[in-house]
Amino acid sequence: MDRRSFVRLLAAAPLARTAGADTPPKVSVVSRYAPAAVPGMPGPFPGRVVAVHSERSVDIVTSAADAEVVREMMARGMRQLTGAATTEDAWRRFFEPQDVVGIKVNCGGHPWVVSDHGLVAETIRQLMAVGIPAENVCIYERFQNQMDNVNYAPHVPAGVKIVAAESANRRVDNRGYDPATYVEADLFGEEDTRSNMMRLVSETLTKVINIPNVKDHGATGATGCLKNIAYGSFSNVARTHHNGVSHTRTFVGTLASVEPLRSRTVLQIMDGLRGVWHAGPFARTRKYVFYPRKLFFGTDPVAIDRLLLDIIDDKRKEMGAISIHDRSPRYLKVDDGRARDADPNVNIIIREPGHVEYAASLGLGIADLAKIEVEAVEV
Amino acid sequence: MTVLALLAALPCLFWTQPVETAAELEAAGIVRVCAPPAQADAWRAAGFSVVPLDEAGRAERQMATTPGILVQADRASATRSPWIDANGWRFRRAPAQRYDYQVRAGKAALAAAEAFAYGVDASLTIDPADLAELGRMQAFLAQLPASDLKEVADLGVVDAGGAIMGEVLNLLTRRNLLFRLVPATSAEFPLTIRIGPGGYSLEEAADPSAFALTVRRKLTDGKRSLRLFGSEAVIARLTADGGRARLHLLNYGGREIEGLRVRLRGEYRGAEAQVAGPGRVALTDYVVADGATEFSLPRLPVYGVVDLTAGR
Repeated sequence: MDRRSFVRLLAAAPLARTAGADTPPKVSVVSRYAPAAVPGMPGPFPGRVVAVHSERSVDIVTSAADAEVVREMMARGMRQLTGAATTEDAWRRFFEPQDVVGIKVNCGGHPWVVSDHGLVAETIRQLMAVGIPAENVCIYERFQNQMDNVNYAPHVPAGVKIVAAESANRRVDNRGYDPATYVEADLFGEEDTRSNMMRLVSETLTKVINIPNVKDHGATGATGCLKNIAYGSFSNVARTHHNGVSHTRTFVGTLASVEPLRSRTVLQIMDGLRGVWHAGPFARTRKYVFYPRKLFFGTDPVAIDRLLLDIIDDKRKEMGAISIHDRSPRYLKVDDGRARDADPNVNIIIREPGHVEYAASLGLGIADLAKIEVEAVEV
Repeated sequence: MTVLALLAALPCLFWTQPVETAAELEAAGIVRVCAPPAQADAWRAAGFSVVPLDEAGRAERQMATTPGILVQADRASATRSPWIDANGWRFRRAPAQRYDYQVRAGKAALAAAEAFAYGVDASLTIDPADLAELGRMQAFLAQLPASDLKEVADLGVVDAGGAIMGEVLNLLTRRNLLFRLVPATSAEFPLTIRIGPGGYSLEEAADPSAFALTVRRKLTDGKRSLRLFGSEAVIARLTADGGRARLHLLNYGGREIEGLRVRLRGEYRGAEAQVAGPGRVALTDYVVADGATEFSLPRLPVYGVVDLTAGR
């Protein structure tokens, strides 16, 4: 048997390795940053989620959002969360004029499910109302090509920085990552065992606002606050799910808990205006797009994501698709993205919705539904 | 070392066209050619460093594969690492052998750098469109300070020959597991790899990628003299002696890497890096701590050399 034929045999038998994810990998966290007295996650409102809904927020025919309605939803959500009398006071609860604020958007669901332009623009407007200059606000993602596709620049004031760590997902740009702040783990025998935090987060920002979407995810079950802030702020994370095996159950929370990311991420605004219930985190077509028309506010990413799991799972049940909790090999077509895109009853990896509960065990928030207080607001 | 000796260390361009084409090579920056013996003097007179070599002589050389990365959907590996074709293991196995590359388009510079990094005698037949690329690489290699340091190794390997052992050497090299070929189990190393009675079975080594991972985990990453972060497409060769070290970094990935992170066991307080293309570059985020040295190389298009010293 030569080298080539051996490797083809490996390709034919990927399931032989699926047992590995049951054992959490050993990880080593390296960071020189101390936690804040009250870390941003779970922050001052553990277990509290404000869910603001408006039927008028999105036109489901065109998928376009109504910026005025979104603005009102944000104002109501922030006031409800903080108990502040005015919207400006609500934002002042989290931000000061001297802050340098990063807005972690999600561009992976381009073109249909990304952090809404109007939502991001309104966030920046409120930060500037607090007294933060546009130059001290950064919209960030890991990949510049994704940011270019979504193109926030025409929607935000001049001076706002749009920052990515890498030009694209090619594993060749490392200079945007902090070599001294990382999580080290050997997950599948990969040579590069480090996932480094973005320099922007560790060296520049004083606060972070997390604006994820309501999305299905083939490896984690669903992707919301936790995965957006974790996998969107560190390098070399695709290595955690491979050949049908996913280490995301533990890795998502582990990354989110690394300082200074944990302390500086002070506000979660989950964009549920639109969502994708299958084939996420992508939304290249409208086939699996749906419209919850909600925004979720909180400081506890675990609590919001616990609700997210049910949102995605309920929608999947409604559409006759298997649960995100289904671990049966029967539905598994390893790494076959084409089959997954065609059929909502195909998994490409065993999903790990347990990453939310695991994050709770790290102190990032509350995953017990009985302890999560949801305050519904209708606009 | 004299200029002639430095040039003699360079891989040569196999070139059978008449010396009248010298201007074309000169314009491309080529300084060393392998030319038919009958034309050798004429090429020397034209100012080139020459290895007399005809087609028959070239055919007697051991063939080296075109180095680079392969992306093929029907091939999987146990990890997400890309498939790399590299010759380091072959050069390590038979360093005195003479090699010949029939290089695919776009890979001439990498092939030249690879042969140079391992210090082997190599001829290269290249796509004419790559002449300038090869010329620039030859010029870069020619100006590097000479180095005669010893191979750094974390484990010994008893090479019993054969294809499977060859693949084991390939994957150890590919995974940057630094080894030295030894005739028998060596007390110098905490781990000696031997296939056969008293050692690993052929079955254990039949999956060379998994076997390399077994070796790595037995050795443990903490005891490795070299670690690379930020790419799975770079293969390194590390030599050292008495407080000096030279690190060769070969990027097989075809795309320039920015900020490759290097960790070396040992405390090196002085370092100079030269990279083919950018030239001399400053290492960044340099840290010496806990018996190790870490730094980032700002750019690595194809090949770079880092010379380190224990004292500043």
